[in-house]
Amino acid sequence: MSRYYEFYCPVKVISGDAALEHLPYELTSIASTRPMIVTDQGVRAAGLLDPVITACEESNLVIAAIYDEVPADSSTTVVRDIANLYRQQECDALIAVGGGSSIDTAKAVNILVSEGGDDVAAYSGAGVLSRPLKPFFVIPTTAGTGSEVTSVAVIADRERSVKLPFTSSFLLPNAAIIDPRMTRTLPLHITAATAMDALTHATEAYTCLGKNPLSDAYATAAVKKISGALLKVMDNPDDGQGRLDLAEASTMAGIAFSNSMVGLVHALGHATGALCHLPHGLCMSIYLPFVLEYNLEQIREPLSDLLLYLEGPQVWATTPASRRPEATISAIRHLRDELHHRCELPRTLRETNKVTEDQLDQIAHKALDDGAIMFNPREASFKDVEAILKKAWG
Amino acid sequence: MLRKLSRSAALTARRRYVQTMFQVMGHALDAISRTDKKVLDEARLLPVGFVFEMTVLPAGPSLVVEHVGEGRLRYLGSSPPANVDLSIRFKHIAHAFLVLSFQEKTAEAFANDRMLVDGDIGLAVRMTRILNRLEAIILPRLVASRAVKEYPADLGLFEKVPGAINIYRRVATGMIRDLTKEVSPT
Repeated sequence: MSRYYEFYCPVKVISGDAALEHLPYELTSIASTRPMIVTDQGVRAAGLLDPVITACEESNLVIAAIYDEVPADSSTTVVRDIANLYRQQECDALIAVGGGSSIDTAKAVNILVSEGGDDVAAYSGAGVLSRPLKPFFVIPTTAGTGSEVTSVAVIADRERSVKLPFTSSFLLPNAAIIDPRMTRTLPLHITAATAMDALTHATEAYTCLGKNPLSDAYATAAVKKISGALLKVMDNPDDGQGRLDLAEASTMAGIAFSNSMVGLVHALGHATGALCHLPHGLCMSIYLPFVLEYNLEQIREPLSDLLLYLEGPQVWATTPASRRPEATISAIRHLRDELHHRCELPRTLRETNKVTEDQLDQIAHKALDDGAIMFNPREASFKDVEAILKKAWG
Repeated sequence: MLRKLSRSAALTARRRYVQTMFQVMGHALDAISRTDKKVLDEARLLPVGFVFEMTVLPAGPSLVVEHVGEGRLRYLGSSPPANVDLSIRFKHIAHAFLVLSFQEKTAEAFANDRMLVDGDIGLAVRMTRILNRLEAIILPRLVASRAVKEYPADLGLFEKVPGAINIYRRVATGMIRDLTKEVSPT
């Protein structure tokens, strides 16, 4: 039977030098005159809001409101507060400036200000929204999550101690603005972890069950950009082109995985993040080679292809075809070693000093119930997951 | 005209097949949850009173089961009660037929966007594992390998055959009971 797939990405990508200066035009072209910025204290303190505000002011566009207190793990209360501010200030568009938390928060705020009410939990789940929301723009300040092109958001409901997922294509922004100025000051260990997050998005998109020709194109392009730029940026953080390559790779990997889903690396990462509060990108970096080894026999062909994008045509051509999948895993391990050398990015759970060995069982149980495991090419049992965790422990 | 009639008959047959397979699966889930330790272990962690529905948009057919506690699943028939906790909905009868005729694995159907999940994703993953275990036990290995992502390496004939016989016996009894109810409604 021929393969079936779906692919959807209506987000306009505005990328490159002076990309931020396109924002006023984008806003005025949809008749927005009172946009609101949603961001966090870190972005504010790093001065990353200044070029956004200046770009708008120079075009006589006033930012009607700024909310800059989005926490790392946002909640329904924060969403309600921001929605109230939006209504009080009679705003007409949202601009998220930040990483995954600010972007997810702004997506949830957009639900409330578009649909009405104070309880965003009422819109939790898949396909609950049935009409377009208010104009929404995203300016990422990290290069890893790909949230600017994904149709999901996760917000904590502290009263009920649950994480609420929201899934709808209406959550997608009108445009994602990728400007190298926004990631230039990103600390090196975050640059490394978020790039490994993007590399994992691309690798899982390319090797898991939902892979398709269009997501493959985005995934391989993302892998190529990351392998070409990451170590250059680690050695020279002011490398503007390298920063832009990483940011674009993150967006491309986001487009890839939101159309093909991810697998066991993410299932393990979600479980570890929830139980041990380890940053998501770091979890991805730790688990990626171990899961690829576990899936190896089912993914030899796509893994062989990835060697070309990771190591270039010369290495690919000189590596015997039968050894290319293993060489791909070795290349990823080598990249992790280089990152460890440059910024001490942990390669094992033990090296994080935040996970204890007696938590591995809990992580395994939680990972087995994670939705991402469904798309993994192998049917991972508890024993399988336990064995991977033991290897990743170090 | 003849072509139109035969096409219509084929579509009716496909709908009946899906309907019957849902009925078989419903009774089989009820049966396997009485005896299979792996299914019991998985189902035991579902909330008591948890209602699971597998259906085809826009208006069925469906299968509905309830977790009545201690890992036991009870087949409720094809009509869901007012509150369903987890619903897996095929977008079209053709997609349900692909999965239920073992032309497409359940995991592939998810990856191919054939189905929508309404409810807790973690519980959907758990229910999928239960369905996979059921298929591995009741189907011949060759067919089961087409239905599940990976045929369980530890499932030997000594476990599979008695398990399958027991399930088919209970399914047959259940189906006869359903038929009797249909013929002589009380």
